Amino acid sequence: MKKLIALLMALIMTLSLCPVLAEGEMTVEEVIALAQTMTNEELYKKAIEESNGQVLYGIGNSSRGKTAGASFVAMLQGIDPSYTGTIDWSQPKNNSIFTTLNADIKGAKHVYSMTLIQDGNQVKSKMIDTGNLLNFIPKEWVEGEGVAVENNNNPLALQTLNKVFMFNNLGEAEFTNCWDFVAEGVAPLYMGVNSELVGKNFLYMLTHETYANYLKEAYDALPEEKKAYFAPTVEEMALEAEALGLEAENAAYGLAYIYLWCTAYNEQTDDGPICNTLVTTSAVDQCGLLVYSKLRSVEESAESSVNNITIAAYQDGYQGIGGYAYKHYLMIPKTSPLPWTACAFISYMVTTYDGFAAWGKDMGGYSANPICMWDHTQDGYVDGVNTYDAKNDRGYEWWISADGGRLVVEDPAYCASVAFDLGDWIDMIVGSK
Amino acid sequence: MTAIAAKGTNWRKLFGRLRTYFSKPQNVILLVLGIVLTVTTIAPMLTIVNDTFAVHEGSVDARDVEEGQIYTTFNWVNLFAPATKTQKRLADINLWTPLKNSVLLSIFSCIGAILFGGVFAYLVTRTNMKCKKYLSAIFIFPYIMPQWTMAVVWQNLFNSNAVTGGSDGLLATLFGLRMPLWWCQGLFPSAMVLSLHYAAFAYILIGGIFRNMDANLEEAATILNTPRWKTFLKVTIPLVKPAILSTILLVFSSAMGSYPIPHYLNLSTLSTKYVELNASRAGQASILAVIMMLFGILILIVNQKTTSGRKSFTTVTGKSGQSSVVNLGIGKYILAAFFIFFTLCTGILPIIMFAVETFLPNPGDYSFITSGISGNMTLKWWINSDPLAENGMYGQLGILFNSTIWNAFLGTLIVSACCALAAGTIGLLVGYCVSKNRRSKWAAYVNNMAFLPYLMPALAVGVAFFIFGSSMGIFNTFLLLILAGTVKYIPFASRSALNSMLQLSGEIEEAAIIQDIPWWKRMTRIIIPIQKSSIISGYLLPFMTCLRELTLFMLLCSQTRIITTMLDYFDEMGLYAFSSGINLLLILVILLCNFVVNKLTGASIDSGIGG
Repeated sequence: MKKLIALLMALIMTLSLCPVLAEGEMTVEEVIALAQTMTNEELYKKAIEESNGQVLYGIGNSSRGKTAGASFVAMLQGIDPSYTGTIDWSQPKNNSIFTTLNADIKGAKHVYSMTLIQDGNQVKSKMIDTGNLLNFIPKEWVEGEGVAVENNNNPLALQTLNKVFMFNNLGEAEFTNCWDFVAEGVAPLYMGVNSELVGKNFLYMLTHETYANYLKEAYDALPEEKKAYFAPTVEEMALEAEALGLEAENAAYGLAYIYLWCTAYNEQTDDGPICNTLVTTSAVDQCGLLVYSKLRSVEESAESSVNNITIAAYQDGYQGIGGYAYKHYLMIPKTSPLPWTACAFISYMVTTYDGFAAWGKDMGGYSANPICMWDHTQDGYVDGVNTYDAKNDRGYEWWISADGGRLVVEDPAYCASVAFDLGDWIDMIVGSK
Repeated sequence: MTAIAAKGTNWRKLFGRLRTYFSKPQNVILLVLGIVLTVTTIAPMLTIVNDTFAVHEGSVDARDVEEGQIYTTFNWVNLFAPATKTQKRLADINLWTPLKNSVLLSIFSCIGAILFGGVFAYLVTRTNMKCKKYLSAIFIFPYIMPQWTMAVVWQNLFNSNAVTGGSDGLLATLFGLRMPLWWCQGLFPSAMVLSLHYAAFAYILIGGIFRNMDANLEEAATILNTPRWKTFLKVTIPLVKPAILSTILLVFSSAMGSYPIPHYLNLSTLSTKYVELNASRAGQASILAVIMMLFGILILIVNQKTTSGRKSFTTVTGKSGQSSVVNLGIGKYILAAFFIFFTLCTGILPIIMFAVETFLPNPGDYSFITSGISGNMTLKWWINSDPLAENGMYGQLGILFNSTIWNAFLGTLIVSACCALAAGTIGLLVGYCVSKNRRSKWAAYVNNMAFLPYLMPALAVGVAFFIFGSSMGIFNTFLLLILAGTVKYIPFASRSALNSMLQLSGEIEEAAIIQDIPWWKRMTRIIIPIQKSSIISGYLLPFMTCLRELTLFMLLCSQTRIITTMLDYFDEMGLYAFSSGINLLLILVILLCNFVVNKLTGASIDSGIGG
């Protein structure tokens, strides 16, 4: 009995030491605050100290985090050849990244040190508002020359990706106005709005003042007979906009577009199959809204060619929105086991050419930092000849400008503010198809 | 004083009885297994139920809760007692329509599987149809393949620009054949694909009865001048009724839990809706999982009722073991030709299509057929070793050089082997102990607890382990996959072991007990060697099923962890060459394993499907 009591007391004393030991360590928030004042060189040293011989677990919506991780480790080994840390990257399916991260943060044992995450709406409502994910702004990024800090720092964006309207050009159909994609009989190929939720964010954003105005302008530019087809829906939606509490003056145009889009779109499992479909000779007059970079992976054959499709916004005189843009955010869980290494890795990806190379080599993905950007304006050139015009990416500035591609850009705060009511409304339309 | 002495005697008696009870190894094992299986089966279920009441940050149930509130009845009220017109409409879309579709899909899949499998079983076992050996082997091919690959094949065959939108499928391209929309998407193709997949169940279960059926039963009816159709309806069908019931029970829950087939063929079911709702209505998604679980429990109850109240037919006797063979006349050639064509479409054609797909320049690009340009075929999907080459491969290396694919394959082998070992061993112990305590209520409970996960839709089990694993911090680990796989596949082994143990006479072990031979020696030297064939089946079936399992594992790990999630990823991405190549590898591995085990032990997949 005495032995048992002695053992218990020893155990209690040992456990009571744990909080004392933990108090000496910095919290993740404190690490981030300090890391934001450091140069990359200093961060890399901290990372080497912290994670030598350890595994940093990262989780993200892009599989290329793995490539970037390998590049980061190689870079650290360049600084210190004895560095043996590694990065284990996982890409969860469907929407489970949020559940996984939250479970990890709330659990007793914390695994994930950083994340690359998309869907601004859920990031805001499930991760930022709850304080589960923390934002880290690298010093060299914020002070970098030409970095577009605004709109990319809260949370920090690795890149902006675009999904653009395309159509198969082998038929007679014309798509010279964004309303043509929701015209009678047209069924654009699109990923299910509940399958990839950034697609739903695109629809939310159409009720935002800026983009509702774009739609109104495009509507006004329509010929009268087409206008007559859309007019009843627009009128009907004026009441809905009021009921949904939407504040934009032209929200009815946004709602009308959403309504027509949701009743018409042809749901596909991914942008890959949409691209493979649109470029074939049999997909006459078909259209879709898909990730621009998918075009890079089409192999020319008798049945398939990039030249079988046209990027709607690249046409002279095209009216209205050319697609939409969403972001990949880099964030750190408040329970990150290796916060210094996470900060260093994030800084490496957003401030160096090699760090962004895993994404930068593709068209349609844009870093806010000019140092990281690759030039894709002549990706469609073969031996100096413009062979595949659709592949010549006109660049981020062109795509988001009001005079260019007029992309609808995801705004996490706006999406989160309208998601509940508008989300239900969209689900009803999609479910009633 | 007397009272104290009496109390002491009672304690001693109880202690003595307990000591006697636990002196038998089967009782100790049953107690331990009972506790373990209860925890591993019930705990994940309780976590789902808890999740239906939990407040999920950023989800609809968090909208109107007060600060600090962690539980709400919002999700149940919102689905089952909607207050507004909008909520009613949403409840219809999110619950009632998927529920109706799931039930219809399960019913039609049962009917289809029994029709395909039952008729085929009858023809193979009871008639003189030609090419039986070949047909019998090829008929189970759709079951060997991951189930959704047939759905992808269906799409590639029947889709057309005019009907489904997008590009033309193979039949539209080659013959201009454009099938109606109901044929291409929705309930009909989903039920057809599931029926074809599970027809192997029906074939093996019903075929087993037909094969062992004593011809005297039918001959008696013939002697009594009963017409052949009446003999079939009144004698043959009642004899196979238990097998039909087993097929219905197994196929119903499997079809209800199937995610990929309705997902690919655009049918809204409880499974597909669960995945859709999980983002913004996580609690309501969990309610759908609870409903699927309730179906599992309902099926278990029906199973209990049917097995306990079932009329007993002795089909194996000590007399004539000959089964009569019906002479089909010219029909033996016609039916053989029909089934050769049928299995060609369901078993061979998909494999040919998988193989061809791996040589196409772009997914679904059959320009080498339409244009006759053989140069439009490529080996890049197999041998590309340049990570920067952008020749239509989305930055992926060829299958032979793709470490992600091979790591996932290794992951699958590890998970399958561990699941098979754990499930096979636990199932063997359950089978052994239950057979030794046939009248014990605890044994019946353990047996039911071991069988319950099999009747649960796979997605519901996956959801339970997803929530359980996330809260335990083991998401995306092999441990979680092995745990879920083991629990799900114990029934394969326990059923197989129980059936074989029941065949063993108690005298065999008693002789060894008299000689004071320890339990482990009795098991390893007597019991296991005698029943090695069915015991190995108990290890083999979980292994092979695990190799091609997706629905159970899809929520539990990242897509690169195991080969089926990787395969599904490639299918969703439209990279059919990769998914086809992986499919070919999987089929090859399963057939190879089956062949090796069959040669070594005589056990094989077609002798034990369905537990």
